[in-house]
Amino acid sequence: MVNEFIQTADFKFIKNNLSILVQSLLKLLQSCEIMDKELLDKYTKLGRGNWGKDLAIWKTMYKGFLGMAKSERGFLNPGKSEELNPFIEMLLNAFLEIPKARKEGIPVIMHPFNYEPELFFAMNLAPLMQEILSVGLAFVHMNEPYIDYINNIGYGDNPTICNAQRPLISMAMQKAAPIPDLLFYLSTPCNSLAASYQVFQGLTGIPSYNIDVPYWAYEEASEYYDEKTMQYMINQSKNFITWLENNTKHKFEEQKFQQTMEITNEAREYTLEFNELLKAVPCPMPSITGFGVFLTMVARGGSPEAVKATKWFRDTAAENVKKGIGAVPDEKIRIAWPYTHVFFDINLLNWIEQTFNAVVVMDLLGHYKVLPQDTSTIENCFKSLALGTLDASMVGKCRGPLEYYLNYLIDYVKDYKIDCVIMPMHFACKHVYTMARIASEAIREETGIPTLIFGVDSYDSREVTSEELKSKISDFLTHIVL
Amino acid sequence: MTVMEKLSQAIPLANPWINNWRNEGKNVLGYFCTYIPEEIIYAADILPVRVRARTCSAGDTPMGDAYMTPTACSFTRCCLELANQNQYDFLDGIVSCNSCDQIRRLYDNIRFKAPFPYHYIIGVPGCVSDTTHEWFKHEISKFKESLEKNFKVSISDEKLKKAIRVYNKSRELLKEIYNLRKHDNPPITGTEMLNIISAGMSMPRDQFNYLLSQQLQELKEKEGISDYRARIMIVGSMLDDPEYLKVIEDLGGLVVVDSQCLGTRYFWDLIDENKNPMDAIGERYLSKIACPRMAGKYPERVDFMMKLIKEFNVDGVIFQRIKFCILWWAEIFMLRNKLKDEGIPFLELEREYVLSGAGAMKTRVEAFMEILEANK
Repeated sequence: MVNEFIQTADFKFIKNNLSILVQSLLKLLQSCEIMDKELLDKYTKLGRGNWGKDLAIWKTMYKGFLGMAKSERGFLNPGKSEELNPFIEMLLNAFLEIPKARKEGIPVIMHPFNYEPELFFAMNLAPLMQEILSVGLAFVHMNEPYIDYINNIGYGDNPTICNAQRPLISMAMQKAAPIPDLLFYLSTPCNSLAASYQVFQGLTGIPSYNIDVPYWAYEEASEYYDEKTMQYMINQSKNFITWLENNTKHKFEEQKFQQTMEITNEAREYTLEFNELLKAVPCPMPSITGFGVFLTMVARGGSPEAVKATKWFRDTAAENVKKGIGAVPDEKIRIAWPYTHVFFDINLLNWIEQTFNAVVVMDLLGHYKVLPQDTSTIENCFKSLALGTLDASMVGKCRGPLEYYLNYLIDYVKDYKIDCVIMPMHFACKHVYTMARIASEAIREETGIPTLIFGVDSYDSREVTSEELKSKISDFLTHIVL
Repeated sequence: MTVMEKLSQAIPLANPWINNWRNEGKNVLGYFCTYIPEEIIYAADILPVRVRARTCSAGDTPMGDAYMTPTACSFTRCCLELANQNQYDFLDGIVSCNSCDQIRRLYDNIRFKAPFPYHYIIGVPGCVSDTTHEWFKHEISKFKESLEKNFKVSISDEKLKKAIRVYNKSRELLKEIYNLRKHDNPPITGTEMLNIISAGMSMPRDQFNYLLSQQLQELKEKEGISDYRARIMIVGSMLDDPEYLKVIEDLGGLVVVDSQCLGTRYFWDLIDENKNPMDAIGERYLSKIACPRMAGKYPERVDFMMKLIKEFNVDGVIFQRIKFCILWWAEIFMLRNKLKDEGIPFLELEREYVLSGAGAMKTRVEAFMEILEANK
């Protein structure tokens, strides 16, 4: 089925749009400065060769990230390192892993942004986090042709179904989506995700599996979960493993699983320390860094590379705190951003930093909150795996009643000495957008600080433009916060 | 007064049946979704009433727009609006579930901005397996305990069994009426059928069954409808506005069957009366003909739709989808491909919860009727 799908690929649309993407990336490259030529040459060579028709966009994205790796500043190089840092190297390897897995006959499993891949690493499968596509393409406005196509075909519209997943459907209909061997998704955090993954499954016929993340905590005394919730998740994980074994030739090995969870928890230790370091005034890391930590865990959690990357984030932050270095000179405003970034505008956060001496200390995804766990027994490892889902960024705060989100946000504002809250609400994100108004009222009442809420499509620059965004933020920071 | 007229009295939000119930000193709970087990509420001697908002004016939902946001579905915006206006003051509380993102946040917004004396939300799993069945049984047991504690009642197995029998009786009677709609000349319109189902969700169930039995008898003896242009199936989510179906039926499209929240997906499956009642309730509600919220159940929904199309001799399908509904957009996107493959004509209509833009709808339905007639 998958082979047949790939063989029938029509590349007209893809070719046209890839040329736009390449041009955008070339522009980016022209403004970049090569830091470590030898290492970059190595990755340039590794990226050569035929990756397969359905990986054309994946390969172009790899080249794009490689180009961005050469950039002196920005999303992928938060520490302004003189070398290719472990985070960038990890991301590049994540791209390379997919064609490599194809060659070696290792099954590729597509998963969403709210499920860490440690179980897949433990079973020697190759994870492909789908939202890397929509986020990565948004940077260079390359989602937009796919969004136009899917609008015309009639699968949702901007305010209804999230564009974190709709481009995938568009790509699939044009035979341009990466076709994994297996598909996995969760019932949370939103209907858009579960619905679009099912549509993708329907279009491609890929075997798929779904895990239910429970809505509610049973006991009122329990903040997020109790033993029954935990066991529910563990049972589902075990069923999932059986399904994985049945759908691949890969067997689950307890020892490998335990080793992988140990690695996962080591990275969680570093992220926990990293989060604590962000409490320092001035904030030691630029606004986008938290998102890098999140991406590390959700795309590569359970791999030694993720440990290296999170350690690097932690060490850089610690060094900056020690030296009293702030992400922005003369820090004036500390912002909480309890939603996702506006992915189509890669420079928005830089602009906020430079224009207002303001730093976004947290964002909802970037504030990775899964706590490290004991991994001395297999059952504890399963518990640790379950926590990775129950407390995953966005899932943990949004899978239950509004109070989870509210209490988390108010505590954050107090603990991190936040001056204001900005909520760039993605139109299609029903489950968070519908909490925003009450959240802003509660924040004002509890902490006295103001909140800016505005609608945007984080993946499409045409709905609310960069200029409009900047105008709203500028008015808010200038007239209300400062 | 005809039986239909009597049933129609139960359609307004606050109606004589609810008033009588309350005058007896008994409680009324509003619920939001077909995944809420009414039997447990009824067994507590509390009247379960489906929350609707038809009296809300289209486009006049300032509270709903502000808190649910303008890009949430108009059903949820209307419900918050009416709750804020105290138009649900006949309710002693609300029971909801995580049926979709918008419904679960409606529950939160009501709790914060227009609270009732009692609130409860049931976590309904997003997929069906042995593991999720166990979880759901526990969920509904907690709900039962909550009712017992808050309303100081005891819900025995006997009471549950009695409630199951009463609700199963409704399901059997409704199915019998639906079976009459398979005839070449069905004795009832889709508009009338929707009124009957709406009434059943807003009045004591034993009294509804009594009237429903009478209605069934009348329909059996009634001469059927023959002056229609095409037999229509309606597929979609929460539709409780008979005027919407009337627009279709006035143009000659007789609605003979549906797959809707206030339709087959509400009553088609029975509860096993031979099992432990809580187990049987849990099994039925999680395994019933699923809403698109239930992952992995699309093939079953397709089979169900195709079975009904065949059994009710449907000429064409009308998909109705409330604007901003994620789940139904995805579902219809897949279903329409299936209908194309099967050569069954369909029309897709986007709508607001309260009927608006009837003129445009009439034009599209009229064109659809002509296509269906040309196909005959």
